[in-house]
Amino acid sequence: MRPILAAALLALALWAFAALTALPFAAWPALPWRAEGMETGQILLAFGLMPRGAVALLAGACLGLAGALMQAVLRNPLADPTTLGTASGAQLALVAATIFAPGWLAGGALPVALAGAAAVTLPVLALGARRGFAPVTVTIAGMLAGMLCSAVATALTLAQGHYLLSLVIWNGGSLTQQDWSGAAHLALALAAGLALAALLARPLMVLSLGTEGARGLGLGLAPLRMGTLLLAVCLSALVSAEVGLVGFVGLAAPAIARSLGARTMRQRLLLAPLAGALLLSLADGALLAIAAMEGPSLPTGALTGLIGGPLLLWLLPRMTTHVPQRAEAGDGLARRARRPARVLAVLAALVLALSALTLFGGRGPEGWGWIAPELRETFLPLRATAILAALSAGALLAGSGALLQRLTANPMAAPEVLGVTGGAALGYAAAVFLFPAPGPLELALCTAAGGALALAALSAHALRADLAPARLLLAGLAIGALASAVLGAIMASDDRRAWVILGWLAGSATNVTPAGAAALAALALALLAALLAAARWLEILPLGPATARALGLPMAQARLALILLAGLATGAATLLVGPVSFVGLMAPQIARSLGLTRALPFVAGTWLIGALLMVLAAFGARTATFPYDLPLGLVATLVGAPWLFLTLMKRTAA
Amino acid sequence: MVTRRALLAAMAAGWARPVLGAGAPRIAAIDWAMAETAMALGHPPQALAELVAFRRVAPLPPPGSTADLGLRGAPNLEALSLSAPGLILSSSYYAFAEPQLARIAPVFSRALYVPGEPPLPKVTELLAELAAALGIPEAAAPVLASAEAEFAALAGRVQDRRPCLLLEIGDARHVRIFGHDSLYGGALEKLGLENPWAEGTRFAFYAPVPIERLAAFPEARLILIGEVPPQAQRALDRGALWNGLLPVRRGNVRRLPGINAFGGLPSALRFARELVAALETT
Repeated sequence: MRPILAAALLALALWAFAALTALPFAAWPALPWRAEGMETGQILLAFGLMPRGAVALLAGACLGLAGALMQAVLRNPLADPTTLGTASGAQLALVAATIFAPGWLAGGALPVALAGAAAVTLPVLALGARRGFAPVTVTIAGMLAGMLCSAVATALTLAQGHYLLSLVIWNGGSLTQQDWSGAAHLALALAAGLALAALLARPLMVLSLGTEGARGLGLGLAPLRMGTLLLAVCLSALVSAEVGLVGFVGLAAPAIARSLGARTMRQRLLLAPLAGALLLSLADGALLAIAAMEGPSLPTGALTGLIGGPLLLWLLPRMTTHVPQRAEAGDGLARRARRPARVLAVLAALVLALSALTLFGGRGPEGWGWIAPELRETFLPLRATAILAALSAGALLAGSGALLQRLTANPMAAPEVLGVTGGAALGYAAAVFLFPAPGPLELALCTAAGGALALAALSAHALRADLAPARLLLAGLAIGALASAVLGAIMASDDRRAWVILGWLAGSATNVTPAGAAALAALALALLAALLAAARWLEILPLGPATARALGLPMAQARLALILLAGLATGAATLLVGPVSFVGLMAPQIARSLGLTRALPFVAGTWLIGALLMVLAAFGARTATFPYDLPLGLVATLVGAPWLFLTLMKRTAA
Repeated sequence: MVTRRALLAAMAAGWARPVLGAGAPRIAAIDWAMAETAMALGHPPQALAELVAFRRVAPLPPPGSTADLGLRGAPNLEALSLSAPGLILSSSYYAFAEPQLARIAPVFSRALYVPGEPPLPKVTELLAELAAALGIPEAAAPVLASAEAEFAALAGRVQDRRPCLLLEIGDARHVRIFGHDSLYGGALEKLGLENPWAEGTRFAFYAPVPIERLAAFPEARLILIGEVPPQAQRALDRGALWNGLLPVRRGNVRRLPGINAFGGLPSALRFARELVAALETT
């Protein structure tokens, strides 16, 4: 209990420092407060700082409770409003409403945020239910849905053409208040949430013994799960509506509660909100104190993301529960294709045919059609550059996804999940801010360096931990969260340069030079050669370190070489398509569902599928809303995600 | 870095001239400030990026036949080549796309908005430079003279010389404040009015500023530029903090329509016109 007390005192001291700097105690307003009769300083305190302190506590508690409930019911230490797509759903709904139906928000953002959060979380959980709520499946589905929503929201914001200040503030998660209404809403929700959680504690405890045991004790599993998740979604949507995107509190609070020794379900459901409240109060108090000392003012949500990442890394070795390694019970049932060579040939033919089709066909101001003969000279080089770049980027991402999945024996490992694209995004942002007018070369170098650094940090950590798949995954998530927190802070600073980054986050094939496209293509071919050469390693590595060593594989060197290869490939591709394509996650899954299970056909097939996905995406991005190019990463995700969802669904039946 | 840009600029200037011998070239504009300046010179671009959004804030309406080039950050190269420009107008802000644009036509680019540097002198100088690049050097002087005359006339109409704090409302609790290195800030000085926001800015404006910071400017008039989002309006109507601000209590708040904050001289003039008109209403 001592750490809790110390944290509470520190949070209070930080807030009091800010409050006393703003107004000496003697001048504090007496109750009852009426704004009409008060000095400006008194209004600031009574209707600004005081509700802000309360909101920090209440929002943190709501998020902590939501996270604890989600983790308990899904028996998944990775579950939180961010990883289940709940927060992104609320974000997309708010963005869409701001742009298309601002009137809907006039009555408050809660109904819109709640509808969005539920609309995204429900399909994710429906999918999870078909797979027995396997943590890895649910997290894949949730993060996919979440990233898809964020990508659509980014595209909508970009298409709007001007910076929507309310959206970037919301993305940053600001706790600034100007009256007590936000605090009142959150207090009501928290009281109701805690009361319901008290009722749920016992059944949840029974559930934690295992689904068979719970069923044996006569527990109605479906209503329990639905009810608990609905409560968690409501809590997180309310926080989203009131203060915006505050990441990681829902993930960190239950982990802190566990590490403080919360054993029983009741203890966890009580300690997690407390930990969440203190965590958010500390973060916000620190920001208030910095601002009171004339320092820069930062959005609170971005800061929780910043401390959330390192916190997770610190917690990793201390966590007793981890992602079950035997997570995908259905995976062994993947059917092996009888003639993988024929599948590969069909894929290659498809890539070539589609490339040719999109090179000559398309859409112009006059509508759809084949390219006019007199335009060939100007159009063909432009299109060929874009198609070649897209194809190569897709192949690079998919290839590195195949590598990482084989390396970790984890179906969820992918450059996007392992934080490599996040690191590359940070590199890109650094270039935009370091150079007054960054050209392609500066951007390329910084992006590649960012990706490599992220991977270096990751592999340093992961190699020390002997690369346990679950740890690698969590460490990657932490790095990715750190990257998105920094990007969020940049966005929320509302600098005009942030607009450039936002544009790139979406990804576009049009800004590639012929030399850049040629370089990408060369890299993609080199990656394919390396993959084929390393096919034997990739066959052996998933069998486990003991088998690999027994077969004479130089484990440490092999891993390091493969990790570096994956990092380089991802960094190069990310420069073109932005960090939100998910091709590196989808292509290997699709390859496996086509029956390409042996290492050689698997890597070759994945490489081809990545190229195929991206050619389709480039065509869709160019034509769907001519002359406004759609984000390449978004279209790629839209093309591949339904297939991935179907694949995930189908395997239960097998 | 500098040499590359200098080279491109030299290429643009060198290539533009022969084309211009045959009359002013067809132009396509990626940057809106450039487009506005070309329009002020009586030579509107045949193609313009983000035409739909531009029409909403444009100080002069673009001709109906103007083609849309897609997003400014990712201009559609096919639409751009279809418009067959002799010269492409861009700015340092789109430097990353310049190699692509240069494949289609010479690019005329300037650094108009640079953090910490007032843009109004730059967009004013741009008039003469762009007129020269378009082969109509004589067109700049009359436009400049009439702009100066209108600024002077507007400045003469201002009676009340209290400082004006220039804001855009973000949400119910945050605003964006325009500083001295913004187009509005420059136009405000031209009118002889004071901008009380002495703090630095990040690229023309400082945002998001929590509205409690506005309490530091009790004597200023609050000039709200652009539409106020409905959910923010609702909160502003009721919020204790906003309604406790002295300028709000005293009714020293004025609203202006949406204006292109990163525009050229025409947008600066439009801002001045709207502001003076708003200050004359009581």
